[in-house]
Amino acid sequence: MIPAGTPILEIIVAAPFVAALLIMVLPEARRGLIRATAGVGAAVSLLGAIAVVAAYDHHTGGIQFVASYAMVPDLGISLELGVDGWGVSLLLLTGLIIFAGVFATWTEPRRVREFYAMLLVLVTGVFGVFVCLDLFVFFLFYEIAVLPMYLLIGIWGSSHKVAEAGPFRFVWRLLRIGDKQYAAMKLTLMLLIGSALIVAAMMAMYFEAGGQSFDLRHLGNHKYSLGMQMWAFPALWIGFGTLAGVWPFHTWSPDGHAAAPTAVSMLHAGVLMKLGAFGIMRIGMMMLPEGAREWAWVVGSVAAVNILYGAFAAMAQRDMKYIVAYSSVSHMGVVLLGAAAMTVSGWNGAVFQMFAHGLMTGLFFALVGLLYDRADHTRHIPDFGGFARKMPFVAAFFTLACLSSLGLPGLAGFVAEFLAFLGAWQSPQAWWAVVGLAGAWVTAIYVLRACKMIFWGPGPDERWKNLADPRGTEWVSLWLLGGALLLFGCAPGLVLDAIDSATSDYLPKVAAAALEVLR
Amino acid sequence: MTHTTLATLVLMLPLGAAALLLLVPPLRHRGRVAAGLCIAATSVALLATIPLALHYCAGAEPLTLRWSWLPAGGVALATLGLHLDAVSTSMAVVVALVALCVQVYSTGYLAAEPGRDRGRYFAWQALFAFAMLGVVLAPNLLQLFICWELVGLLSYLLIGYYWTRPAAARAAVKAFWVTKFADIGLVLGLMVLYQRTGSFDWQTTLIAGEATAIAGLMFIAVMGKSAQFPLHIWLPDAMEGPTPVSALLHAATMVAAGVYLVVRAWPIFVAAPDVLLFMCWLGAFTALFAAVVACFQDDIKKVLAYSTCSQLGYMIAALGAGSMIGGYLHLTTHAAFKALLFLGAGSVIHAVHSNNIRQMGGLWSSMKPTAVLFIIGSLALAGVPPLSGFVSKDLILEELLAAGQWGPLVFALLAALLTAFYMTRVVLLTFFGGPSEAAESAHESPSSMLGPMAVLAIAAVLGGLLLPVYGAMAGVEAGFHLSAIGATATCLGLAGIAAGWWLYAPARRDRPPHALAERLRAIVTSAAVDRSAEFVYRRVLNRLSAGIGWFDRFIIDGLINVSGWAVLRGAEVARRAQTGRVGDYVYAVVIGLILLAAAGVFAP
Repeated sequence: MIPAGTPILEIIVAAPFVAALLIMVLPEARRGLIRATAGVGAAVSLLGAIAVVAAYDHHTGGIQFVASYAMVPDLGISLELGVDGWGVSLLLLTGLIIFAGVFATWTEPRRVREFYAMLLVLVTGVFGVFVCLDLFVFFLFYEIAVLPMYLLIGIWGSSHKVAEAGPFRFVWRLLRIGDKQYAAMKLTLMLLIGSALIVAAMMAMYFEAGGQSFDLRHLGNHKYSLGMQMWAFPALWIGFGTLAGVWPFHTWSPDGHAAAPTAVSMLHAGVLMKLGAFGIMRIGMMMLPEGAREWAWVVGSVAAVNILYGAFAAMAQRDMKYIVAYSSVSHMGVVLLGAAAMTVSGWNGAVFQMFAHGLMTGLFFALVGLLYDRADHTRHIPDFGGFARKMPFVAAFFTLACLSSLGLPGLAGFVAEFLAFLGAWQSPQAWWAVVGLAGAWVTAIYVLRACKMIFWGPGPDERWKNLADPRGTEWVSLWLLGGALLLFGCAPGLVLDAIDSATSDYLPKVAAAALEVLR
Repeated sequence: MTHTTLATLVLMLPLGAAALLLLVPPLRHRGRVAAGLCIAATSVALLATIPLALHYCAGAEPLTLRWSWLPAGGVALATLGLHLDAVSTSMAVVVALVALCVQVYSTGYLAAEPGRDRGRYFAWQALFAFAMLGVVLAPNLLQLFICWELVGLLSYLLIGYYWTRPAAARAAVKAFWVTKFADIGLVLGLMVLYQRTGSFDWQTTLIAGEATAIAGLMFIAVMGKSAQFPLHIWLPDAMEGPTPVSALLHAATMVAAGVYLVVRAWPIFVAAPDVLLFMCWLGAFTALFAAVVACFQDDIKKVLAYSTCSQLGYMIAALGAGSMIGGYLHLTTHAAFKALLFLGAGSVIHAVHSNNIRQMGGLWSSMKPTAVLFIIGSLALAGVPPLSGFVSKDLILEELLAAGQWGPLVFALLAALLTAFYMTRVVLLTFFGGPSEAAESAHESPSSMLGPMAVLAIAAVLGGLLLPVYGAMAGVEAGFHLSAIGATATCLGLAGIAAGWWLYAPARRDRPPHALAERLRAIVTSAAVDRSAEFVYRRVLNRLSAGIGWFDRFIIDGLINVSGWAVLRGAEVARRAQTGRVGDYVYAVVIGLILLAAAGVFAP
């Protein structure tokens, strides 16, 4: 499929970056050309990711497409590229989301050039994290992925009024709560505090392993002292977990997603939150297996809280974007629940849930963006009703996303949740699965209720005169993401085989380490 | 053609029709084309099921095909495929037959609807046929569960066919919520099963405790799907859907999926006597309870809905008494006569544009064929010999007697009396007496609606002939005879008909209802259960979510905001130290020196 020697991972990572550079030298007035360049850059990455999925040999497993470029040899830092079965699925997810995202924000009127450049740089970072085998560069890419968000939300976002309420209402005025700058700042600061924890744990690992190399394969082979693991694992869990929406460090997510423009919400909830979960699994659990084992009951129990609490919090919301954002908090709990289970099904389910939730939430935010544009910039659901008459396809795709969200068989969400809960059931803490299933039921309540309130019933009344089905490029994200939800729900093996090969590779290591702890 | 090809066709044709209709809008937007495609797919599927059923019911070895679906550690965690044996193929015939009848009927019933809406309707119908046949032909419980959920989805979509009506929207969502809640039990049951046996197969041997856990958990889902007390609350509301949908999903096939699950997972349930005992009592109670409620309904579809609950209760009770064949035979015969009754009701509703039996009356003169077919269905439901309902109900009662379940037996006998009573009431109020205003202008439905009803009527009359076939399936000797219990039930049924006649005879129908009846009507409804479900939703779940939402926004997020505020405020305070005046800094230096000196003096 891929000719031998093709630097496919390099192409995937570099394509968006090159497109971003090209865009920056184009004149602002050439909007069509700017969009086309962004589209081509994203398309190259997507095709590359598809090629990697097709060419990855899941029978052999392990890390494939390896390449190495020296960066700072004195410190043992080098650009090591390679992808394992987990990374394969997430590459594909990122490719799908960015391609869909470029089209979902096709009509962004302000500063098109900077917007697309920033978006593509961000995606470069995301791709980099999934293919990078050097911890230092991993962290570099991680920050590249996280920081442009501040500008993307602060400049292109939207503000909304938030009534002063609660016991801490005295802070409202000073922080200007509800402003897009507030949302951007809160998101960035919370994630940066997380990053600080990651750096601390990273340094501890580097020095304890001899201070010669940041190569993950080298770091992974070292046996760290239990004392260090006992503080470094939770540092990584909270550090990465802030981005993954781990309770109670999740509150940047609703405000951030609500303020962000459509494509940014799609990328953020669809892909960036996965970086956090991927970091916990790939760095935290793989590098520090004893620490992970010791802390698993906390990680899983908090994940159970995430699922149920997130679902109930979503049920309380009336703003479309807040509903989707809290549902992300709830669904990311499924990822961490599966991860904490430390069983084959649990880990397969966790990674597949990253994939499935990314597709689903990407579709959700694309639809919410469409609705928001057509409903005169309102997201207040109780004002809506009967929209299916004017926008039947939006209704159909929204229902599809809802059904995947509540775990309906035939859609990707079911496979992920079923595996994660089965894995949890097989773990020492079987009750996690029960909480998870209860959360899935609450999800059914709030998503179907939202669907009913927006699309069903009589109406729409006269004030909604701009409602219409998608036009032109707006279809791309819907068909792409909706189709992927269905395809991977019916034939999960397409990516699950690769995921399973990595899980089968990694899990015995962690299990063996845990046995040693017992001894 | 090989059996594999045939069975694959059975599943793939409806799926293909549905996919074509959903993906190609021009096809879907022409109602006639959509109906043709859907009906063609279902008819071929029906034709394909018949040779399969004949082959496997004659005692051929079961055939299972499996394809790996989910990997785990390099091996298959779950498989999908087909399982062909006597039970699955005979059920497939029932499903395909009723589905075909209902689809043909729908072309007449929905003829006045816009083409787009009909297209959507037939796409869902085709998808439903696929999902339901998928439940029936599943080779393991995981696939059964997958198709079970899809069937639930189609129920949601078809109840919501008239989606602009708020009541239909509410009913669709409620049906999904209640059954989805119950399905948690099935998922947990599957997980325990997988944990213990390493597969999702029902052909397994379990020790008693495990079997009790698995069967008990799975039975929760059965209660939801097959509308057993107290999870029956969604079924009467589901009557907001078009009447053919009620006939197919909410009477003949989908609600029977719960019973089918028990039949399928029989090896697990048989190993769990505690669960069986519970099923027996709950089923018998539901049979009686729903029959009582049905007596007081004025909406013809609600009468039939509660009647469905009640009959499903019979099936569950029979299974609970350890009689797989009793439950399964009644499932089959009930599918025919209840679908017939619903289609008959639909024909009447189509003519008078009302669901209320008090506004009907006297339709006999204008709708003789419908009336005759409806009465055949009613007699079968009332258990009048030798119609199919008599045979299967008699078998259930005999099995309850043989199992020594006296309590459930009494419940079931009383329910038989009431069943005859409420059906007599419906028939008399609908078809006899002086014609009401609505009935004056009513005229008979087209042959596209009467034809399918006639087919089902034949099945409702002759369905009892399946008894020996089903007996062979379960490996028991079953023949036709009139037992003492059967005679008792028949007498009770006739008494019910007589009571119905006495109260609702055409000559008396203009009399105001008895005060006692009105009092009873107020007491005997399912409202208490409905209200508790409402309470759980509004008071418990909504309040809990509002509380958590508030806590999250104002406490957790509030604390994060406060920390931001504290940093900003703290910075303002700290900044005051940097006044920029040289004098202040000199003071600071002097004070610092004094402090240092003092520290030097007092230091040890």
